[in-house]
Amino acid sequence: MADETAGMAGPPKAHGLHRFRPRLEMRQTTSGLRTAAMIAAGLAVGLGLSALILVASGVRPGDLVNEFIVQIFASPKNISAVLVQAAPMIIVGLSASIAFKARFWNIGIEGQMIFGAIGATLVATFDIGPEGLRLPLMALAAALGGIAWIALPAVLKLRLGVNEIISTLLLNYVALNFLLHLLYGPWQDPVSAFPHSEQFEETERLAALGWQSLNASLIVALALTVLVTVALTASRVGYLLNFVHTNATMARAVGVPVVLLTLAAALGSGALSGLAGFTISAGIEYRMTQSFFIGYGFSGILIAFLARNNPIGATIVALFVAVLMVAGQSLQVFYQIPFAMVQLIQAIIVICVAASDFFIRHRVQWLTG
Amino acid sequence: MTDPSGTALALDAITKTFDGFRALDAAHVSVRRGEVHALLGENGAGKSSLMNVAAGLYAPDSGRILLDGTEVTIDGPLDARTHGIGMVHQHYKLVKPFNAIENILLSDPGERYGAAIDALTARVREVADELGFELDVTKPVGTLSIAEQQRVEILKVLVGGAWILILDEPTAVLTDAEGARLLETVRALAKGGHSVVLVTHKLNEAIDYCDRITVMRGGRTVDTVEAKGISQSDLTTMIVGADVHEQRAPSQSIGAPVLQVAGLRAARGDGHIAVRDANFEVRSGEIYGIAGVGGNGQTELSDALSGLTRSLAGIVTLGGTTDITDASAEERRENGLAAIPADRHSKALSGTLSVADNFAVGGVLRGRFGSWLRVRRRELEQAAGEAVEAFDVQGVRSLKQRAALLSGGNAQKLVIAREFSGSPRLIVAHSPARGLDLRASAAVHERLRSARDAGAGVLLISEDLDEILLLCDRIGVMTRGQIVAEFDAPFDRQSVGEAMIGHG
Ligand SMILES: Nc1ncnc2c1ncn2[C@@H]1O[C@H](COP(=O)(O)OP(=O)(O)O)[C@@H](O)[C@H]1O
Ligand SMILES: [Mg+2]
Repeated sequence: MADETAGMAGPPKAHGLHRFRPRLEMRQTTSGLRTAAMIAAGLAVGLGLSALILVASGVRPGDLVNEFIVQIFASPKNISAVLVQAAPMIIVGLSASIAFKARFWNIGIEGQMIFGAIGATLVATFDIGPEGLRLPLMALAAALGGIAWIALPAVLKLRLGVNEIISTLLLNYVALNFLLHLLYGPWQDPVSAFPHSEQFEETERLAALGWQSLNASLIVALALTVLVTVALTASRVGYLLNFVHTNATMARAVGVPVVLLTLAAALGSGALSGLAGFTISAGIEYRMTQSFFIGYGFSGILIAFLARNNPIGATIVALFVAVLMVAGQSLQVFYQIPFAMVQLIQAIIVICVAASDFFIRHRVQWLTG
Repeated sequence: MTDPSGTALALDAITKTFDGFRALDAAHVSVRRGEVHALLGENGAGKSSLMNVAAGLYAPDSGRILLDGTEVTIDGPLDARTHGIGMVHQHYKLVKPFNAIENILLSDPGERYGAAIDALTARVREVADELGFELDVTKPVGTLSIAEQQRVEILKVLVGGAWILILDEPTAVLTDAEGARLLETVRALAKGGHSVVLVTHKLNEAIDYCDRITVMRGGRTVDTVEAKGISQSDLTTMIVGADVHEQRAPSQSIGAPVLQVAGLRAARGDGHIAVRDANFEVRSGEIYGIAGVGGNGQTELSDALSGLTRSLAGIVTLGGTTDITDASAEERRENGLAAIPADRHSKALSGTLSVADNFAVGGVLRGRFGSWLRVRRRELEQAAGEAVEAFDVQGVRSLKQRAALLSGGNAQKLVIAREFSGSPRLIVAHSPARGLDLRASAAVHERLRSARDAGAGVLLISEDLDEILLLCDRIGVMTRGQIVAEFDAPFDRQSVGEAMIGHG
């Protein structure tokens, strides 16, 4: 022990590694600027690693730039593809954000999307209500469908303490099987006899906006962003949800209606998921298919996580994920890169951004000597 | 290599800054072999920071660390451990689902799990027996009481071979009896040749159990003195820079009952009935104290009255007429109840939210800062700023700063600012000065008195008999969930003390 310090005077001995030592300290405060910088750095590392992986699997570096930047942002067709893809992404991101804000871990986004689409399709197929009101009615039915599918887990959690992670997850499978039952049975398309619903009529579709393939689903998504932003950041509900999120015991003790707020957040999340199902059915596929929801549950959770449950952040991250999806599709087509690679890239970016949290919370010092 | 003066650990001219803030400014302390050394100072004086330097958690900007007279560098907690320094932190660092042995093993995993576990179990049992620790080492640490968890932490550093033991405010979380037991253990350790640094706010602990006392203020060392012969007021002057002396100020006018509790029964989280048939009343304009040895139902009484847990039986009436027995916390607050729980960090504040938000949540719930659709931020922040000023909450660099950054005393002042903002009729305060330094606890007491003088009823539940005797107009002694005796002022300390243990 003693000669370790004595070694400082003379030339360093065998343990040269000791000359530069990292030392960690917990930070008590972190400026917003540092937080943003660290997250950006995490993102950059994630993108760098992803690029390396793509290059290693045969994409030329030049092509990478081409696919991700030039192709996407220089072609109106691709921009509109990204925006169309982004609309339901934004909505599921909002859905997850609002649920997570109340610490309600909604893993059942896909099940709620299915019931949302079922609600919308019900209105469309049976021509419920006047034509002029058909679309709003479909949206309403979708929201109610999503709410119906999350209501049971929400009540079970709040009344009996049943873990919502399990209940919402398992209800996804129930929803999927019910969807298949409908599509292979009573709601099968009589025209093509394929297992999807019959096509929606013109009045039952979200209108095209007259530019490329863009349609009103993006407007729906942006309107919901505004709504959720107001609810979470300006209203009393959002203010109180911050307490539920950070310390539910304290919230209860000072008189915050924790149960009521959690219920409201869960139902709101279900409604949003249902609406996401509606925008896909009425805005992209013009019918209810058997696989329209796949992957959105995971994406929603990921978006909310990266955006730290901030609705505006969720919208930006959703756009980013949509870019990744669209670029991924062309990588698949032109470079035979499997879709799993796109998921791998998503995962790498999530891990890198999550890891940046460590550098937000700690101070790393390099000691010499 | 041994220092002739017998100094085991010396920290010399230690300076440490955090992002430009100088937490330690050439601070120094030296601890002899076989002594118990008290480290005193107000919240934020730099006690924990200085000790963290010795424990290898903080690297000092400058200064020297000497062990037995030899300068060393301490590269991290593991290195401190090889140097024989062990620290028990204010907030325990234990893995809750693991038992004591597994937790201790974690700090030094041996080669093979199986062999290590057996050897370690034997060793831990041996040390625990030596110290007279009662502890079930096979139970998950999360199910142990705070005092037992602390024993696990102490065992961890001792089994790790520490000869220099640093305890950071160990008695702040303990009841008087538990604290006294711990301090006896500490004396025994010193007798066996260990050096112990005891960080504390309680002057009598420093004087009665320690050999020497070092006082810190504002990141600097004020002085080191012999404990023998020093008076509390001398120490107070060293700590604060002025003498703080609290005096009794009985109530001038006592009115009608604001809280009536009849036959109250309440259970702990695990179903154990902790409050059984409690009967008492608190009148407007008085401070009614509930004295008692900790663990006799105090926490459960406080939780049941503030609405955090449901009571099982009995009737609780507020303001003479409103039955709040089954009311939620919300409804109780609407009826004029305010609560200052003992565990302020988990029950009264949300550490990651801002000072302003933590202050304003009560007002927001009462509709003071806008409707359900809109919270008027600017107004809210202005009110928070005024309250921070009025209640002398210090260390608030910005209203947007996280509440967790406030020191204990200032956090408590913030809680009080919020709780008093609704002009409550009844205040339920549980150990409101626990862990606070002298000046902060005097300020908290002053607030309770002035609320009383403004006509509120105050229920003060405290395990600290001195606090009860100082503040209360009437005292009830609680034992095993019942009020077993009541006393009117003037109090006889002896008979209250006897009632606390006599019925046990
Ligand atoms: N890791 C840290 N980062 C920033 N400031 C710190 C850190 N640790 C301590 N401080 C600051 O240093 C000062 C001294 O704190 P501390 O040593 O905890 O005081 P004490 O233990 O005497 O109450 C306080 O103002 C505190 O906010
Ligand atoms: Mg401290």
